[in-house]
Amino acid sequence: MLSLHTFLLFFLSLSGLLHAKSSSGDSVLVVLEPARQADFSIFFDGLKEQGYELTFRGPKDEKPIVAEHDVPAFSHIIILASESKNFAKDITPQSLVELMSGGTNLLMALSEKQTPLSSLASEFSLILPPPGTPLVSFFPERKDPLSMIPIDAPVDSLILSPKMNPVWFSGVPHALGSNPLLVPILHAPSDSFAADTDSNADALVDAAEKGGEGLWAGSQLSVATGFQALGGARATWLGGVDMLSDKFAKKSKAGNKQFARDVAAWTFQESRVLRIDSTTHHLVNGTTPLEQYTINDQIVYTAQISHYNAKTSKWEPYSGITDMQLEFTMLDPHVRTALLPVAGSPGTYSVTFRAPDRHGVFKFVINHKRKGWTHLFSSTTVPVVPPRHDGYPRFLSAAWPYYAGAISTSVGFFVFSAAWLAGESRESKKAKKTQ
Amino acid sequence: MLSRPLALLLLVAAAQASLLTLHAPRVTTYDSTGNGIRTEILKLTQKPAIPMAVGPTDSLKLTFQIIEEGDDSGKGVQPLQTFLRFYDPHTGEEGIQPLRVTAAGKAKFDLNMAKPPLSIPPTSKAPLEVTLILGSPKHSPVKLALFDIQLPESQPAPQHPDEPSFHLLPTIEHTFRPTQKVPARAISALFTLFALAPWGVLLVLWSQVFPGAPRLFSPSILPFTASLGAFELLLFWYWVDLKLGQVLLYGGVLGVVTIFTGKTALASIGARRIARK
Repeated sequence: MLSLHTFLLFFLSLSGLLHAKSSSGDSVLVVLEPARQADFSIFFDGLKEQGYELTFRGPKDEKPIVAEHDVPAFSHIIILASESKNFAKDITPQSLVELMSGGTNLLMALSEKQTPLSSLASEFSLILPPPGTPLVSFFPERKDPLSMIPIDAPVDSLILSPKMNPVWFSGVPHALGSNPLLVPILHAPSDSFAADTDSNADALVDAAEKGGEGLWAGSQLSVATGFQALGGARATWLGGVDMLSDKFAKKSKAGNKQFARDVAAWTFQESRVLRIDSTTHHLVNGTTPLEQYTINDQIVYTAQISHYNAKTSKWEPYSGITDMQLEFTMLDPHVRTALLPVAGSPGTYSVTFRAPDRHGVFKFVINHKRKGWTHLFSSTTVPVVPPRHDGYPRFLSAAWPYYAGAISTSVGFFVFSAAWLAGESRESKKAKKTQ
Repeated sequence: MLSRPLALLLLVAAAQASLLTLHAPRVTTYDSTGNGIRTEILKLTQKPAIPMAVGPTDSLKLTFQIIEEGDDSGKGVQPLQTFLRFYDPHTGEEGIQPLRVTAAGKAKFDLNMAKPPLSIPPTSKAPLEVTLILGSPKHSPVKLALFDIQLPESQPAPQHPDEPSFHLLPTIEHTFRPTQKVPARAISALFTLFALAPWGVLLVLWSQVFPGAPRLFSPSILPFTASLGAFELLLFWYWVDLKLGQVLLYGGVLGVVTIFTGKTALASIGARRIARK
C-alpha cells in the first residue's frame, strides 16, 4: 500500500520535473559554431525537454537578430562561441547589456582566447587572467590532462543541487570583484592555478612577485559565476564551454549534467524567482487606503509576495522570507521594521507601525535583496499631514475650570434674564406713594 | 609463499607514481633583533599543537627540501607547483604563496611581518592553517599540513558600499515627542470649585434677599425665557458637537421664534407698566 503510493508520487514528480519552465519566456537563442552543435547534444536535449524552444545561430550569421527595433526577440541567450574572435554586428557588449536591462537572461562561456565577451566580463566585476592561461591542477591524481579538472560541488550552494557529483571543468578561472550582485556558483579548487601550458616553476613565482593580481591560484578564483542585475535579468559566466559538453557529461560519476541543469534553471528564471503581487496600506481600524495620513496614526502595511514554482509553471504565494524589512522614508528612513509573514495567510506580509510625528511626503519602501534571489522593490508615496484644526484632543481635564467659567456665564445670563422678565417693576408704586 | 605478497606490494609501488615528501622541514620564528623565539621540526603526520605566533615585528622562516619518498640519497626534486596555502577556516579567506625551489629541491620561505607579502589573506583572531601543495608531472601530487600560524589581526577585506543592503539592516525606531504632561485631575477639580464659588455666594445672598419672580410662568413671558434658554443650549450643543453651518441654521430658526416671543414678552411688560401708571 505504502510502496504503491510512493511509486505513484515518484512518477508524478518525474513528470513535473520534465516540464519545469521559465517564468520569463521559453525562447532561447544559442550562439554557437554550427560544427560544434553536436558536442552539446545532452545539454540542448535537456533544455528542450524542459520546454524551451532553441534557435541556433552561428556567431557570424546575420539572422536571427537578437533585437528588432529595440524589442528583444528572445527571452534567453546562450553564447557558447568561445573560439570566435568576431561576432556579428548585432551581438556586441553594448547590445548585450541593453538586452539585459530589458530583461533577457544571458549564459556566456569564456575561453583562453580573447573574444568580444572578454571585455564584457569586466563590466560584471569579473577579472580575467592573461590570455593563454587556463586553469590547471595536479589534484586529484588522474590520467586526464592537467587542464581537465574535477571540481567538488560546494556543500551549501544557493544554485546547485546538494550532493552533486564532481563537475569536470576545462577553461579559465576568473577573480571576483566585491560587487554584491555577483553570485558565485562554483569556485576553483584550492590547489589549482592558472598557468601557461609551457610555464615552469620559476615563471609562476615571478608572476606572483610581479605584483598586481600576482599569482592566479586558489579557491578565491571562480569558474562559474552568476550575476543578478538590478533590473531582474540574470547572467551566468562560465570559465569554459566544455563544462556543458557531452564529453564531460559522459564521464563516469560526473555531475556535469546536473550542473548544467541547475545553472540553466537559475539563469533562465526558473528557480529562486520572487515577485511582489500587490501592496496596500490602511489605518488600523480601516480597510481602504487613505489619500493621506495624519502624524501618529497607526498604519498597517501589507504586501503579497509570490514565488515561481517551475514544476507547475505557476506563481504561488510564498511566506518563506523571514528577514524582509519595510522602510518608511522621507529622504532618510524614519522607520525601519521587520515585515513578517502573517500566519494562516500564505504570501501575506504585514506590519503595523506608528507614523512619525514629522509631517511630509513619505514612501513605503520594500527593498529586499539577497544573493541568488530576485530583488524585490516597491515604493508607495503617501503624504503625512499634521492634525486638522479639530483633530487635536478636546475636553481636557486641565480645562475644567474654564469650562465651568464659560458655562457659568451662559447660565448666569439665562438666570438673570429670567429673573428680570419675571419680576414686577415696583418703582411706579413708590412714585405713586411719594406723590 | 611469503615473498608473493611482498612481490605484489613492490609491483603496486612501481605502478604508482613516486610520492614526494619533505626532508628536514623546519620552521623558526625570530623577533625584531634576529633572536630566535621558537623552532619546530615539522612532523608531516601531525601539526604542532600550538600555533606559531608571529607578532607585528617578528619574522618567520620555513626551510625544507623536497625529496622522493624512500630516496635517501639526498637528491632533491624541483616540482612545477610548490605553493604555500594560508587558509582561515572561519572566514574562508585564503592566500597562496608560490615558493622558489632550487634544482636540488631546497626551498625557503621568509615572512617578515614588518613587510608582509601580498599573499597573506586578511586575518582574524583565529590562526591560519598553513598547507604545502606540491604538484609535479612525474610524481603524485601531495598536500602536506605543516603548521598553524597566528598572525596579528588585520583590517578586514574592503566591502562594496552596497554590501550592507544585501543583509538585514538595523531597525530604526522613531523617537516621538513625549506626550504633553497634564496637571492632576484633582487640581483641576479644585480650581473648578473656585470658579463655581460665586454661585455659592449668589445662593447665600438670595436666601437673604429674594426679589421675587411672580410672572415667571406667565404665558406671555415664559416662551421668551424658553427661547433664551434654547439659545444657550444651542451654544452648548455647538461646543460639544455641531458644525458652524448647522448652528447657524438652527440659530436662524430659533432667532425667528425668539423675535415673536420677545415681542410678546416685552409688550406684556410694557403694557403692565403703562397700566400701573
